[in-house]
Amino acid sequence: MEATYNYKVVRQFAIMTIVWGIVGMLVGVILAAQLIWPTMTEALGPLAPYLSYGRIRPLHTNAVIFAFGGSALFATSLYVVQRTCQTRVLSDGLASFVFWGWQLVILLAAITLPMGFTSSKEYAELEWPIDILIAVVWVAYGVLFFGTIMKRKTQHIYVANWFFGAYIVTIALLHIVNSAELPVTLTKSYSAYAGVHDAMVQWWYGHNAVGFFLTTAFLGMMYYFIPKQAGRPIFSYRLSIVHFWALNFIYMWAGPHHLMYTALPDWAQSLGMVFSLMLLAPSWGGMMNGIMTLSGAWHKLRTDPILKFLITAMSFYGMSTFEGPMMSVKTVNALSHYTEWTIGHVHSGALGWVAMISIGSLYHLIPRLFGREEMFSVKLINTHFWMSTIGVVLYIVALWIAGVAQGLMWRATNSDGTLTYSFAQSVNAMYPFYTIRLIGGALFFAGMLLMAYNVWKTIAAGKAVNDARIPQAVAA
Amino acid sequence: MTESNPEACFHCGEPVPSGAKYFILYQGGNQPACCIGCQAVGQTIIDSGNADYYRLRTDLPKTAEAALEELKNLKLYDLPEVQGSFVKSEGADGQIREANLILEGIVCAACVWLNERHLHQLPGVLAADINFSTRRARVRWDDSRIHLSDILKSVQDIGYLAYPFDAGRQEELFRKERETAIRRLAIAGLGMMQVMMYAVPAYMAEEGTMTPDIEALMRFASLILTTPVVFFSAWPFFQGAWRDLKLKRAGMDVPVALGVGAAYTASIYGTFIGSSEVYFDAVTMFVFFLLTGRFLEMSARKQSAEAAESLIKLIPAAAMRLPGYPATREEEMVAAVKLMAGDHVLIGPGESFPADGSVVEGYSSVDESLLTGESMPVTKHAASLVIGGTINLESPLVVKVEKVGSDTVLSSIVRLLDRALAEKPRLAQIADRVAGWFVLMLLLVAASVAGIWYWVDPTKAFWITVSVLVVSCPCALALATPAALTAALGRLTRLGLLSTRGHALETLAHATDFVFDKTGTLTTGQFSLLDMEVLRTDRANVLALAQALEQGATHPLASALREAAGPADLAADNLIYIPGRGVTGQIGGQTYRLGAPEFIGAAPSPARFRVGVSLVGLADDSGVLAWFALGDAPRLQAHQLIDELKGLGVRIHLYSGDRDENVQALARELGIDDARGGMLPQDKLDAVKVLQKAGSIVAMTGDGVNDAPVLAQAQVSIAVDQGAEAAQAAADMVLLSTEIGRLADGVKLARKTQGVIRQNLAWSVVYNVFAIPAAALGYVTPWMAGIGMSLSSLLVVLNAMRLSRISKN
Amino acid sequence: MDILYLLIPLSLVFVAIIAIVFLWAVKSGQFEDMEGPAHRILMDDESPSPASKILSSEQQNDISPR
Repeated sequence: MEATYNYKVVRQFAIMTIVWGIVGMLVGVILAAQLIWPTMTEALGPLAPYLSYGRIRPLHTNAVIFAFGGSALFATSLYVVQRTCQTRVLSDGLASFVFWGWQLVILLAAITLPMGFTSSKEYAELEWPIDILIAVVWVAYGVLFFGTIMKRKTQHIYVANWFFGAYIVTIALLHIVNSAELPVTLTKSYSAYAGVHDAMVQWWYGHNAVGFFLTTAFLGMMYYFIPKQAGRPIFSYRLSIVHFWALNFIYMWAGPHHLMYTALPDWAQSLGMVFSLMLLAPSWGGMMNGIMTLSGAWHKLRTDPILKFLITAMSFYGMSTFEGPMMSVKTVNALSHYTEWTIGHVHSGALGWVAMISIGSLYHLIPRLFGREEMFSVKLINTHFWMSTIGVVLYIVALWIAGVAQGLMWRATNSDGTLTYSFAQSVNAMYPFYTIRLIGGALFFAGMLLMAYNVWKTIAAGKAVNDARIPQAVAA
Repeated sequence: MTESNPEACFHCGEPVPSGAKYFILYQGGNQPACCIGCQAVGQTIIDSGNADYYRLRTDLPKTAEAALEELKNLKLYDLPEVQGSFVKSEGADGQIREANLILEGIVCAACVWLNERHLHQLPGVLAADINFSTRRARVRWDDSRIHLSDILKSVQDIGYLAYPFDAGRQEELFRKERETAIRRLAIAGLGMMQVMMYAVPAYMAEEGTMTPDIEALMRFASLILTTPVVFFSAWPFFQGAWRDLKLKRAGMDVPVALGVGAAYTASIYGTFIGSSEVYFDAVTMFVFFLLTGRFLEMSARKQSAEAAESLIKLIPAAAMRLPGYPATREEEMVAAVKLMAGDHVLIGPGESFPADGSVVEGYSSVDESLLTGESMPVTKHAASLVIGGTINLESPLVVKVEKVGSDTVLSSIVRLLDRALAEKPRLAQIADRVAGWFVLMLLLVAASVAGIWYWVDPTKAFWITVSVLVVSCPCALALATPAALTAALGRLTRLGLLSTRGHALETLAHATDFVFDKTGTLTTGQFSLLDMEVLRTDRANVLALAQALEQGATHPLASALREAAGPADLAADNLIYIPGRGVTGQIGGQTYRLGAPEFIGAAPSPARFRVGVSLVGLADDSGVLAWFALGDAPRLQAHQLIDELKGLGVRIHLYSGDRDENVQALARELGIDDARGGMLPQDKLDAVKVLQKAGSIVAMTGDGVNDAPVLAQAQVSIAVDQGAEAAQAAADMVLLSTEIGRLADGVKLARKTQGVIRQNLAWSVVYNVFAIPAAALGYVTPWMAGIGMSLSSLLVVLNAMRLSRISKN
Repeated sequence: MDILYLLIPLSLVFVAIIAIVFLWAVKSGQFEDMEGPAHRILMDDESPSPASKILSSEQQNDISPR
């Protein structure tokens, strides 16, 4: 047993990544449709309240971030830590516990959120019993991951593991601090913080969850799967180390940019702006490092759709890490805040960066987990790639225009100081953009179905690999 | 990849000689190999389950020589007294051991992978890590299950060379220095970022929006963060300043230490009294940027120093001592470091001398190319002097040890290189002196600024004085030259051109005339088969016969013949070597002789071969079979080098001691107009003096002892071939690489370096001219001064770092 | 803004932790080789077949001290 890797847990999480990706994105498509046809779910009669916008919006965010993104991170981090440390995971039992525990969390979320049980904190809506379960599973994950690093057979800890490690520690801390709450009943609790303190803690959490969950962790993925798929070492290993320390240190302090033009003191807002702008340097350093890995082998991009996914993800990462700091500039923020632009920005990161890097990594991973040379159909991967790319582009361009239009309409005043447009007028102006967004989102979702089919056929032709040998363990 | 080509050796990619019958079994098929060495290595790699190496590699390895070194030599490394210097023992019985190995032959990452895998597969090896950057390996093993010699042997089996080295010397020092520097830098960096985090709000907050208690809180937090930055990160500056003060010098550490110390002290006062300004952000930023500059400079310097390290490995680790000599010939193996003057040691053929000494018994030839650049072996007999690190070629010698350790010639070479690295170039010395004066002036200015402002407005006097101290940039001035030089030297060293004198680079940039010596400079200096005359049978047959006769010989003529013949398919018996003359032996019952014309007893027709070649004859009982003409061929890149140098506007001269017609022939081939042959050292010296009288700056390139006077006369001298000229104090630079074309790159780099130095100096002057008055007038707050000064230094260092990245084209 | 009385000391603790982790990384030699690790992950043998393992154990007998 000790001479092989534990692929079982990786396989479980990899499959569930696709399942939860489809579920989460389907909910997203329904939400996008609801914005165009607000009454569409009323036909369901008594079921309608469970599918109302306000209830399934958190279901969508939780499903894509924590179920889809989370599963992808569990799968890749546990694969990478084993392979780069040349050792089996600390404990198979613990690995199983993490897998089933996390699935239980997702299942409970899928039940409680439509039922309306929420702590009403964004990205942390789940109620206290589930919060406790999350904390337990997460600590188990931390023990599993760091335990595996401790028993490594190599002297060096590969940079991807540093990124994963930072993400695991930070998310534990963020979750525990932000979820401090006073239970009233089994399904209701109140935050331990009050007023502006709650807002600060919530956005300290919200910001860093984006930073460490959706950025740092997926960078770990990038630092392993891009070199592997390209068959070339990372452009500069030295830069990757600098990237790690600079990114994580600066990220911590950019949080106040979520609270521009709120009750937060002006200087704290400015501080958030300054650090957000500084973030551009490490972010782009990391992006160049990933993309330049292909320097001298650009031709591979033409023939390898998996690499296309990975490199396009890096481009979207670059784009959204440029857009983000720009949006934290106070004057830009005055226009963009509370508009669809923000949603577009989030999705250029979430679909373009997070989903595409995960999809690329999974296409790399699945054949290896099931003893196949490559995926069932490389052509289908290519089709999937174009569906995803076109889908994301439609999505973010539509919302970018929508957001700017919205911002301009809200601030437009007549010469006598009255507002030029009523709020309803600005909503009305959104219809064409909402439609394009729905098409883009549906295209991305359809791509996931294609992936599921491709993976299904690959698994059917393959056999679960349970004897992946650890090279260094051969030593007597 | 290359292995699909049927003509190329599966292992090394060299063309397979026709008729070679070496094959490597790979994936069920036979792949061709060029020689028995490659066959053995390739098969070992594949059979040990590491065939993936051939899939993963990105560069081809060197052709594997059939292992020459006997296992006996490797066994030396198992002796406790030999291991004493480089092996760490652990465990109750000291069986768990650890050593650092130098690995030779690593060309790409797959080699690292292969070696690690291979070492891990050995039973008894507990750990093996290879550092790709330095090509060093750290191995831990259980001595009760495997010995070090077995580990070294198994590395040899897969075509690499490993030998232990004593990491105790510079290596370890550098590693420690680098670690400490990273620590200081990290603490300063973290401190800076976090202090900024507290300082930025204070600058941004509008009057009254930040309550005094919050401001005080942030000041205390900043104080806590700045304290380790000052007392740990900035410690070297205080040390340097203290050293300077003790020597009554004004170095550039003095204003740095003063500025940091004053600003920190004032900030503590400000924190506790709460009324005046604090400068924690300026202090941390200043220290961080200064340390960054130093760190970059240190990295460049380390690269330059590594080349010197490689010479040390030439001394063998152990020697065979004859304690009872001459009464008995009882042998005992001892560590080379334990030898003392007066000991007698026995050195077998193929072994190197462990120390300097004189021959007591035996007759052999010795390869001294390391010290003299002379490719012909030198004959040694009783009373001849031998030098540690040189290689005994033919037969055993008994040597009386005369000098050991640091007294040996080799040690003096290493010292020479070390000194050159430490020696400051003239330009840098001037810059240092100027910086010294500058600092002195600066301190005076700061003092008067303090006095004047105290009189004008005492509340501003302090921070303006601090600003003046901090903003001025003696660092940029002092760094301008050395930073450029170290970056350029690092780059040069990587090109294979080692600078042993500080001024070399500067003079090289200005050189107008290049003078070349012929032998070993523009030519390879090694023998190869240039021509042959076959009197009977055919070409392949005589080469095969010669090959068989020279099979075991280590003489350069012999290896040239072997190389020309390709793989051996005849075997000779009863070989008798007569040192310095030739060899006789029997092949298929027939007796053959191979050697100099005198030895053969005949001579070829005088007009048949061009002059200057060494002739070797092959004869059987019925007379001469063939004549082989062996000689020196032009180096591969000689032509390109001459063209490039001409393109740079440099005049080329060829002054050689060789016969004039040879020299003229070479000059015609390479396109050199001024070529003179038959010159004595005195003639060369005079010719160079004539050039210099005409105003030329002469760069002399030579390889031998006979060039020493002229090398010394030239403004800058470059010795060609590994280690050759290092023995002479005369050479300023040594070309370690065999690619002579690197000389032109060296000239280009030297010229670029001059440009960068000028830019740097110009910048630091312009900067100070503007910055100091501005600070003295109170327009610059300390944190702005910190940024200004740091950016100025950083700019200079980064500008210099450009040199280390200029590609060799 | 009394939450800062919690956040600022907390930030100091974070910096201290980051510093400790970084110093540990320096001490344990994580930054000694800045090229090798990038190549090493590519050399990782992913073939699941245990065949070569048997070969290598045979080889061990060959190499054992002579």
